[in-house]
Parts: sequence; C-alpha cells; structure tokens
Amino acid sequence: MDKEVDGILVAAHELKAPLALLRQLALSLDNIDAPNEHIRSEMVRVSERAIKQVNDLAKIRRLEDGLFEMEPVAVRAVCDEVARELSYLFDYNRRYLFIKYSNRERLVTANRDLLYSVVYNFLLNAMHYSGEQTRSELLVQDYSDKVKISVRDFGPSLPVDVWREMKRGFIEKPTSIAMRPGSSGLGLYIASKFSRYMNANVGAVRHRDGTSFYVELPVSKQASLFI
Amino acid sequence: MIFVIDDDVSMAECVARACKTDARIFTNAISAMEEIAAGVMPELIFLDILLDGPDGFTFLNELVSYTDTGRIPIVIVSSLNYTKSDLSNYGVVGYLNKDTMLPQEIRQYVEKYTG
Repeated sequence: MDKEVDGILVAAHELKAPLALLRQLALSLDNIDAPNEHIRSEMVRVSERAIKQVNDLAKIRRLEDGLFEMEPVAVRAVCDEVARELSYLFDYNRRYLFIKYSNRERLVTANRDLLYSVVYNFLLNAMHYSGEQTRSELLVQDYSDKVKISVRDFGPSLPVDVWREMKRGFIEKPTSIAMRPGSSGLGLYIASKFSRYMNANVGAVRHRDGTSFYVELPVSKQASLFI
Repeated sequence: MIFVIDDDVSMAECVARACKTDARIFTNAISAMEEIAAGVMPELIFLDILLDGPDGFTFLNELVSYTDTGRIPIVIVSSLNYTKSDLSNYGVVGYLNKDTMLPQEIRQYVEKYTG
C-alpha cells in the first residue's frame, strides 16, 4: 500500500475515538433550550458523518484481509436507506434529491456495507457540488447481467485526468480536484476501493453541466434461481 | 451501584452520566477487580474491551470464574463490533457500539438490571 495512503489510514484510525467522544459529549448535554438543541443536533450529525468516513477508511485497511463477504444484496433497499439517511442533509443545504428506479428488483452480488458506503459517498459528493436549489439524481438501471447505480450532480465538470483515472477502474490515492474547491477526493477514493473489492465497475461520465459517477454490479445468479 | 470500566475517562463519564444513578468509574480492569474483591459488588458493569493492561476479555474470564461475580450482568461498550458475538456465557447481557450508542440505550440497561 502507498505510504502516503497508509499514513492517511493510520490518522483516520486515531481520529475514531475522539470523534465518538465528541458525539457522546454532545448527547450528554442536558436541559438545553431550542436554539441550542439545534446546535447539539448538528454536532451529533457532523460527528456521525465523520465517524462514518473514518470507519470507511479503516475498512480499506481490512480489504486486503478479504473479510467482507459477498452476498445477494437488494440494491433498491440499500439506495433507499442511504437516501433516507442523507435526506436531512439535502434539505438542510437546500438541495433536492431525485430518485428513479427503472430496474426490476433484482439482487446483485456485493457486500452490503461496502455498497452502502459507495452510494453514500457518491451522494454526499453530489450534494456537496450541486448548487443551492439544484438537484442531484440517483438512478438505478438494469442491464442484461448487471445493475447500474448512477449519481448525477450539476456541479463543475470532472477534470479529464480524474475522469481517465476513473475510466481505468480505480483511483490510486485521494487527490483534490482543482475544479471542485474543497474536495479531497477521499469519497471517490473510498468508493473506488470498495467497488474494486466487489469486482464492480466504477466510472464517471462528464457532462457539460456536471458529472455522473456510477458503479455497475453483477446480478446475483444464486438469487435469480429463486425469483 | 454501577461500574463503568473504560480507559478513556471522558467516555466513561458520558456513560456514567447517562446512567443517572450512582456509578463508579475505573480506568483499568485491575482496580475494578480489586474493588470487587474488597466486597463492593456492582449490580451492573459497563465494560470497554480494549483497555490498558488486562483487556475486557481477561476481566470477563476473571469474573466468570467465581460463583458470585459470575452473575453480574455486563454490557460491552466498545468501538469494535461485537453484536454478532455470543458472550452470554460470560454474563454479557448486551452490546453498545461507541460510535452509535444513545444515552437512552444506556439507561434502558440500568432500568432493567438495577434495583
């Protein structure tokens, strides 16, 4: 593993305990009025998102051990759950999330937790880079032997070099994207690593008015026997 | 009396505070075991696993080896995921993940297992 990446993963591990503590401290506050209750809720939510990212980074170190089992996974259920978790954040930032399922409810071969993180990171990325009052789109489509999950944003278009890296199927390490200020590339790096582990195709489509990130997962043959 | 055993004092204080009853904090398993040996029998223990010195599993083994302490209900409080483990033979009655636990979940265990 790249030394720089390994350093990031070690740092992430060190952040886990203080973030969990910050969340607990916020939850421990008693007898607070309504405006402060809002601040407390935000502290909890921000901590939870940071914990999730730290946990995802910790999982990258464990990918090499092959500890994540592949199983039949219901794509729609995962997407619904991620959308539900992030709906607050979309509302709070005055963004819209449009969801369209054009697939039959076929199961795919994946690891549920890793797939959850891929969709979560794509959506978080889309929310971040879409302008206020604009929408992001979550699409699930069927192909003959695979299911494609795409997340489209209407932010700055993806630079060609990052697009090429995505086209190659994986991202070597987190890299900030100049045209997307504030980006660390961490979410895409996590999504790319997890997708690769699941033998899924990950990629991006450049639009003149934004970017779509997608992951294509093989349909579960095991489950199709029972449908 | 409730025991909270965690080498992170601030986290232990959060758990103790959520109990809303008399709770004592220990930052290592040895001092908690010494207190029990001195005759202070807790009604419930919230136990972290990764501790300085002897870890939570060593503590569980020690407790279960005596008839009286083997009956103390234990709730594992850890950042590692033990929800798929079955440690009921060690008196473990529940698991709380530090990343996601809520004060009301802590209180539910207190209400269920203390007088």
